Amino acid sequence: MNILIPLLILVPLASALVIFFSGPRAKAMVPFGIFAAALTLLLSVGLCFQVYQVPSTPSDASMSAQATIQPKVTFISETLRFVLPVSVAGQPIDWQLSFGADGISALMVLLTGIIGFFTIWLASSQIRVKTEAYIGLLLVAISMLMGVFLSMDLLSFYIFFEAVLIPLILLIHGWGDGKNPQAASKRFLLFTLAGSIPMVVGLISLAMAPLTNGQPSTVALSELSALAAQAASSGVPIGSRDTWAVWLLLLGFGIKLAILPLHTWLPMTYAAAHPNTTSLIASVVAKLGLYGLLRIVIPLTPVALSIEGQMVVGTLGAIVIVYGALVALSKENMREVLAFSSLSHVGFITLGLMSMTREGLGGAALQMFNHGLITAAMFWILSMLEQRHGPISLRSEDQGMAAQYPKLAVLLVFFTLAGAGLPGLNGFVGEFLTLSGMMRVCTTLVAIAVLGTVLGAWYGLRIVQRLLFGGNGTRLDKQSRPLAGVDLSVREWVPLVAVGFLCLYIGLFPMRTMKLFQADTDRLATLSEPVSKQIHRDMDTLIVESPTP
Amino acid sequence: MQITKAAATHLTPEIILLIGGTLVMCASVLTRKPHREDIYAQRNNFAVASLVCLLVAMAARYWTGVPQVGSADLGLFRFDASALAAERLSFLGGLILILMSWSTAPKGRLAEYYGCLLIILAAIPIVGASNDLVSMFLGLELVSFPTYILLGIVRTDNAGAEASLKYFLLSAFASCFFLLGLSYLYGFCGSTNLTVIQGAFGEGKRLMALGLLLAICGLSFRITAVPFHFYAPDVFEGTSVTMAGVMSYLPKVAGFVALIRLLGTGTLSQGASGVVIPVLLGCAALTMCVGNILAVAQNNLRRMMAYSSVAHTGYLLLALVALIRQDASPGVIYSYLAAYAAMTLGLFACLGEIEAAGGKSHLIGDLSGMFQRRPAASIGLTVALISLIGLPFTAGFWAKFMVFVGTVADRQTDSVSMLMGALMAINAVIAASYYWRILSTVYSKSESNVPLRVFRPSLFFAYTICTVLTILWFFVPSAM
Repeated sequence: MNILIPLLILVPLASALVIFFSGPRAKAMVPFGIFAAALTLLLSVGLCFQVYQVPSTPSDASMSAQATIQPKVTFISETLRFVLPVSVAGQPIDWQLSFGADGISALMVLLTGIIGFFTIWLASSQIRVKTEAYIGLLLVAISMLMGVFLSMDLLSFYIFFEAVLIPLILLIHGWGDGKNPQAASKRFLLFTLAGSIPMVVGLISLAMAPLTNGQPSTVALSELSALAAQAASSGVPIGSRDTWAVWLLLLGFGIKLAILPLHTWLPMTYAAAHPNTTSLIASVVAKLGLYGLLRIVIPLTPVALSIEGQMVVGTLGAIVIVYGALVALSKENMREVLAFSSLSHVGFITLGLMSMTREGLGGAALQMFNHGLITAAMFWILSMLEQRHGPISLRSEDQGMAAQYPKLAVLLVFFTLAGAGLPGLNGFVGEFLTLSGMMRVCTTLVAIAVLGTVLGAWYGLRIVQRLLFGGNGTRLDKQSRPLAGVDLSVREWVPLVAVGFLCLYIGLFPMRTMKLFQADTDRLATLSEPVSKQIHRDMDTLIVESPTP
Repeated sequence: MQITKAAATHLTPEIILLIGGTLVMCASVLTRKPHREDIYAQRNNFAVASLVCLLVAMAARYWTGVPQVGSADLGLFRFDASALAAERLSFLGGLILILMSWSTAPKGRLAEYYGCLLIILAAIPIVGASNDLVSMFLGLELVSFPTYILLGIVRTDNAGAEASLKYFLLSAFASCFFLLGLSYLYGFCGSTNLTVIQGAFGEGKRLMALGLLLAICGLSFRITAVPFHFYAPDVFEGTSVTMAGVMSYLPKVAGFVALIRLLGTGTLSQGASGVVIPVLLGCAALTMCVGNILAVAQNNLRRMMAYSSVAHTGYLLLALVALIRQDASPGVIYSYLAAYAAMTLGLFACLGEIEAAGGKSHLIGDLSGMFQRRPAASIGLTVALISLIGLPFTAGFWAKFMVFVGTVADRQTDSVSMLMGALMAINAVIAASYYWRILSTVYSKSESNVPLRVFRPSLFFAYTICTVLTILWFFVPSAM
């Protein structure tokens, strides 16, 4: 029974409620919101330490030894038992919700804590209208995200996955300052629902899977993953139900991670929402789809996935890398450039996951964290620039902002290089691992994907060149007098530098970070790698040896 | 065929409601005196009288207690979990509807209005407890006749006349279908007792299936299933807000309760279910698609809600199929209807507050900027709409989720059940688009025509109850 887990979900939610019902004292609630977010960050760091310290040996009975999902800390309460007034095949539905964290969850919780705290910190100076309500909604979103990452069963995963939507649409609808935030929020809502409601059919189908063996239906991930591992090793052929389930799940998670034909909500939302909101959406919310693939699709339906979706989604991932980079190169509006660059980078993670190999899964988990840090930092910088200049366009060359804002320039260059995958920074480690994972399954896809790193450096440097260099930095107002630019204040550079140090640390010592979750991704790979190899015998597999357990 | 003493004891709450309704209606003679013009006192008196009637009926149920399974009377009536659930649904809806009527009932015809409402509330448990074609038909007609009267008296303009005439003619037509079906069933089985008839399903031939289909047609009208839905938008548009709430909820409960009683759970034979299930599945698919697609095209809020009510019937039909196939408990449908009552009646109560204050709530545009003028009603509306979309932390989430569970869980016909699940999911997304339109209008920053500063405690209580139930039931789904 781990007390940090309920606290991580309830502290931000309760503080949000306090903010909403504060009435006339609303203005004083901004520091309170920052304090609540800081507390959440501390709790998430605490959770990471707990997970880090638990030895990664399979703990107990033979049943759970096969499970590919083994939470290291758990929170299971009898009060969280849902008895629905419906029975299936004569058995009542009696589902126990459970929360817990393994290395992957802990990493994502940490990401949510860091990004959530700094986003709220920056929002206090960047959001001018109804700041306290904005911060309250951000806290609700953080709480729901924590719920997704900490849930260890299908039902609570789905509830929180859906619930994340509510604060986000309100944030986009109410505080969006781009063109037509109303239309963008509607599209965001409908696209996400179009994925997540069909997904529930797939999830229920997974929960009903034990019924074929005469066992009661369950939603617990560890039990279901043990069952899936058994089925995979005994070579049970998949039925039409499994095909349906895996495609519905891929649709749901694919829309959330904006896989190629389903991505149109993403640039529109990112262009319409305030960059402060976008930083949370791009860095954490967009990870929900990837997290769902890693947590649910690969462990629970490995066979159906490798037969049906592995190569399709992998190919789409490789295409989206190049497509996103090319569109980013052609766009002028800075928000859209960053949106498409984020799209392109998520493609690497998709590729790593779809390789279903040890390196690929580990690299994808790490890159999920890295990408979250880098994207959030880029959107923070964008919001700082927009605060000073209004909408940022790359059309006018040689804006020479480096002379005006030296601190900001250094940080922008740093994060651009991290995103482009400079060795020594964190982006490199993740992208390298995901590509080397895919290398063992299909070299063609890697050959396409590698183009993305070149293009990535190209559009990154284009941003740097057009915004920062050339010109002498003097910008004139309407009366042709030079405008005074204010460089970053302490409040603004602290988050960027903090995240920057984290990027550098992961880039220099990736193994120390990977130790947090490597046992979990390796365990998953022992299931997924043989399955994938069995299906794709004719793939240009380079390494034949079986992975070390 | 006679009502036994035990049955009469168990029917005490319904008898109380029927007597109460009749007495309230008789009171119209007393209130028609020219010197009694205090319309506000009358309004309060009648509402309190009906509320007392309802509370006494609830108390009577508490006093007679839950019937034992062994003592269940299998003559005209059968008292089991289904009967109790129908009664609960009727009383829940009745409580909210009487509160809503308090300030929206037609001023000149209060006695008839409340009398009819109470009789409908009594009739639904009678349908739920019926174990005989005769008692079922009696109950259904006890729902229909007061509804004709109610539609006729709440609005006296042309639209009101159209609504009431249309409903009357089509409903009579549907009753004929139903009766024709019953006559086949009776002719085949030689008995009107449902236990006997369901026992005869086993030897069922085409005639039996034809009878069942005709009866289903008749009931499809009550639940506004496609292709018997055409009256719904006109009726919703041509009546008062409260009456639209009545129309969206009470006939639907009566129809579904009758369907569950008629088809039984898990008692259909292979032959009969081979005919009935494809028809029901097709009807469900058609109903949800037509309802949702036409709802998207509406600008009129009432017509939109009418089509939304059609769409919800489609989801409920899917649950009904799951029920027939799996010998499952009918809890899915009752829980769905309870959640539906909380969200739809809550929505109409919020609209009622605007109408009672002299505003308009016909078009979606009439609600623009509502949040600034009426924050409490807007929050009620928001919760109701989020629940209708089916997002978490509302009862609507579980309602949809349970239908999904029921539909997907059937393991015999994998592809069909997964396909129906996916189809319903797509429909839920389409539905989200028009509910979201209302929601974004309410919170828009445009010039508002919503009236200010008229507080109606009864309406406030009505939508507060709905909102609280909607949220509460998410956390305790077993209480739904």
